[in-house]
Amino acid sequence: MAERKPKIVGFCCERHGMDAAVLSARTGKQFDASVRLVQVPCTGRVDGMHLLKALEDGADAVFVLGCLEKNCYYDTGSIEGRKRVNYVKSMLEEAGVEKERVEMFNAASTNAWAFPDIVSKMVDVARKLGPIGGGEMQ
Amino acid sequence: MKASIQVVLCKCCTEMPALLDMAKLEKLASDAPMVMSVVTVDAACDGKDLARITSEAKDKEVDRAVVLACHKKDISPALLKAYKRAGVNEFMVELANIREEVVLPHLNEPERAQKKAEAKLRAALNRVTMLEPLEKSMEPMGTKNVVVIGAGVSGQAAAHAAAKSGAHTILLEKSGKSLKAPGVILTHSQVIGGKGYGGNFTLKIKAGEKIEDLDCAAIVIATGGGWTQLKGPLAKAVKDAIPLYKLNELLQAGSVPKGPIVVVDTPDPAGKTLKVQDFAWDETLEIVIELKKRSPETQVFVVFQEMRAFGLSELAYKEAAELGVTFVRYDKSGTPKVDPKMPSKLAVKDSSQGEVLNLSFGTLVFASIPANPDNMAIAEALKIPMSVDGGVRRGSVQRWPVSTPRPGVFVCGSALFPKSREVAKVEGEAAGTMAGEFAAKGAIEFGGSIAEVTSEKCSACLTCVRTCPYEAPFIGTASKAEIRKQLCQGCGMCVGICPSKAIELHHYTDDQIMEEARTLLGGDF
Repeated sequence: MAERKPKIVGFCCERHGMDAAVLSARTGKQFDASVRLVQVPCTGRVDGMHLLKALEDGADAVFVLGCLEKNCYYDTGSIEGRKRVNYVKSMLEEAGVEKERVEMFNAASTNAWAFPDIVSKMVDVARKLGPIGGGEMQ
Repeated sequence: MKASIQVVLCKCCTEMPALLDMAKLEKLASDAPMVMSVVTVDAACDGKDLARITSEAKDKEVDRAVVLACHKKDISPALLKAYKRAGVNEFMVELANIREEVVLPHLNEPERAQKKAEAKLRAALNRVTMLEPLEKSMEPMGTKNVVVIGAGVSGQAAAHAAAKSGAHTILLEKSGKSLKAPGVILTHSQVIGGKGYGGNFTLKIKAGEKIEDLDCAAIVIATGGGWTQLKGPLAKAVKDAIPLYKLNELLQAGSVPKGPIVVVDTPDPAGKTLKVQDFAWDETLEIVIELKKRSPETQVFVVFQEMRAFGLSELAYKEAAELGVTFVRYDKSGTPKVDPKMPSKLAVKDSSQGEVLNLSFGTLVFASIPANPDNMAIAEALKIPMSVDGGVRRGSVQRWPVSTPRPGVFVCGSALFPKSREVAKVEGEAAGTMAGEFAAKGAIEFGGSIAEVTSEKCSACLTCVRTCPYEAPFIGTASKAEIRKQLCQGCGMCVGICPSKAIELHHYTDDQIMEEARTLLGGDF
C-alpha cells in the first residue's frame, strides 16, 4: 500500500498570520511540507463551510491562523475566527469526527518561531488520528 | 469562459532554480488552458524584468496574470503598477508565494517542494480564472479641517504638527484656558455627536451654549487624563489629597507641602483601573527628586504596584532612592487603606517584606490620572472602541500606535492611558502628522475588495450590523442590509457570519477560497 502523507490546510489571515509564516521561512526555519496555506483577508472571513469542505476534500487537519486577539488588524476579526472554529469543532463532535482536527491559533507577525510549532502540532494530530474514517499513514 | 492568462515565474535571482525544476513548472504552465504567455524572469522586482513582463502582456493582450514569486506585500506595489500600465486590472493578478511557502522552508526536501510548487501553480491558475475585475473609487474631501479634541500637551503638539501639513486645525477645549496654537481655537466646546467617515466627518459640537455642525477631514482625540480627585474608599477618609501635577505646581511656586509626603500610584488603588501604565513614572520620579532637593528633611514615600521607569529614567529611580525617597511596593492583596478614624495614616502591605506598614502622612499625592470620562461620549459619537480602563483603544499597536481602528480618527496622549508629558508630546506630534497628511490627500479612495449584499437573500437579521467593527453595514430603505462602501475595510467578517449567505466579499468569495484549498489538497506531497 502506498504511503500516504498527511495533508494539512492552513487558513492564514493576510495580516499577522501570513506574515508570521513568511517571517519564519525568512529566518531559516524549516517546517513540514504537507501544510497548504490559503490566504484570507481576516480570520473573521473564514466560514465553517470552508473548514468542513477542506476536510471533505481530503485534509487530515485544518488550522486557522490569525492575529493576536488584542492586537488584531481588523479589531475583532480573530475573535470572530475563533468563534467559527469552535462552532465547527462542535459540529465535528456531533458527526463523530475528532474535533482536534480543526484548531485556531494566534500569532504576532514578529513571532518567527510560532509558525513551525503550529505546523508540527497539526502534523502530530494528523499522524495520530490518521485519515478521516480510518486508514494508514506514514 | 474566455480568458487569457500570463504566467510569470520569478527565479528570485538563483533561489528558485536551486531547489525547483523551473522547466517542469514552465511546461505545466504552458500546457494549462487559456495560458497565452509564460515568462521566466530573474527578479520580478527588477525594473528591466518588469518592463519585459508588461511588454509581453501587452503583445499577447492578456487580461489576467499568475505570478509565482515571493511575499505579496513585498512584490505587489511595483508589479501591480506595471500590470496597470499593461491594461491588466490589479485584482486580476494572482500572486503565489513560492519563495517563503515552498523554497525557503523545505530546503531539504526538493521532491516534495517541487510537487508543492506545482500544486501552488495549479491552484493559482484555477483561482485566477475565477477572479473578477474590480475598480476603486475616489471621493473628494469636503474640507481640509483637522479637529483636535482637547488642548493639553498632546493636543497642542498635534495641532502644531497638523498645521505643518497644510491642514486647517480647529482645537476644541473644554475649559476656558487661553492658549496659543495655530488655526482656530474654540474654548468651552465639546463634541456631542458625529457622523460620516474618514475624510468627510460632520461633528456636532457644543460651543458655549450654541450647538453647531463642524465638517472635518480628520480627527485627533487628545482628551488627556480624567479624575483630579481621589476615588473609592480612600476618598472617604482623605479629603485633601492632591494630584501629582498640583504638587508640581506648588513646587514650581516655591512652596513645599506639609510632610511627610506619600505618593500613591493611582487615585483608586482598590478599583478596577489598577494598571501598571496608570502611574506616570517619569513624572513621579522627577518630582520627588525635585522635592527632596528642595527640602531634604521632608520624608517622602512612593507607594506603587509596579515601577516602570523606562530607559534612562532608571537612573532617576536610583537617584531618588539615594536621596532618601522610600519606595514601598504593594500587590493586590494589600492595597493602601486609610482608616477614617485616623485620617493621616496609610496602611499598606509591603510585598517585599510581607508586613503592613503604617505611614503617617501630612500630604497624600496620587500620581496617575486615569482615563478621561469624556472619552465615553466621544467614542460613542465617533463610533470607536474603548479599552477596559476607559481610554480610547488604538488599532494594532505595531502598525498604528496613534490610530483608532476607524480611518481618519487618531488618538494620542493620556486619552489612551496615562503617560508622561514627554511621551504625550511625541504622541501628539505623531497623531497630528498622521491627521495632517490624511487631510492633505484631498480625496479618499475606497472600494475594490469590499463586501456587497445580495438583497434578495438578505433577511435583515442585523447580524452583520452588530459584527462589523467599522459600522459599514446598515439596514437601508428597502429593509435590507446595505454596505457603506466608504467605510468597508474588506475584512469579510460580515460575510463569514451572515446566516443567509447574502453577503459576498469581492476577491475572496467562498468559491475562490474553497477552490484554492481543493486544488492544493489535490497535489500529493
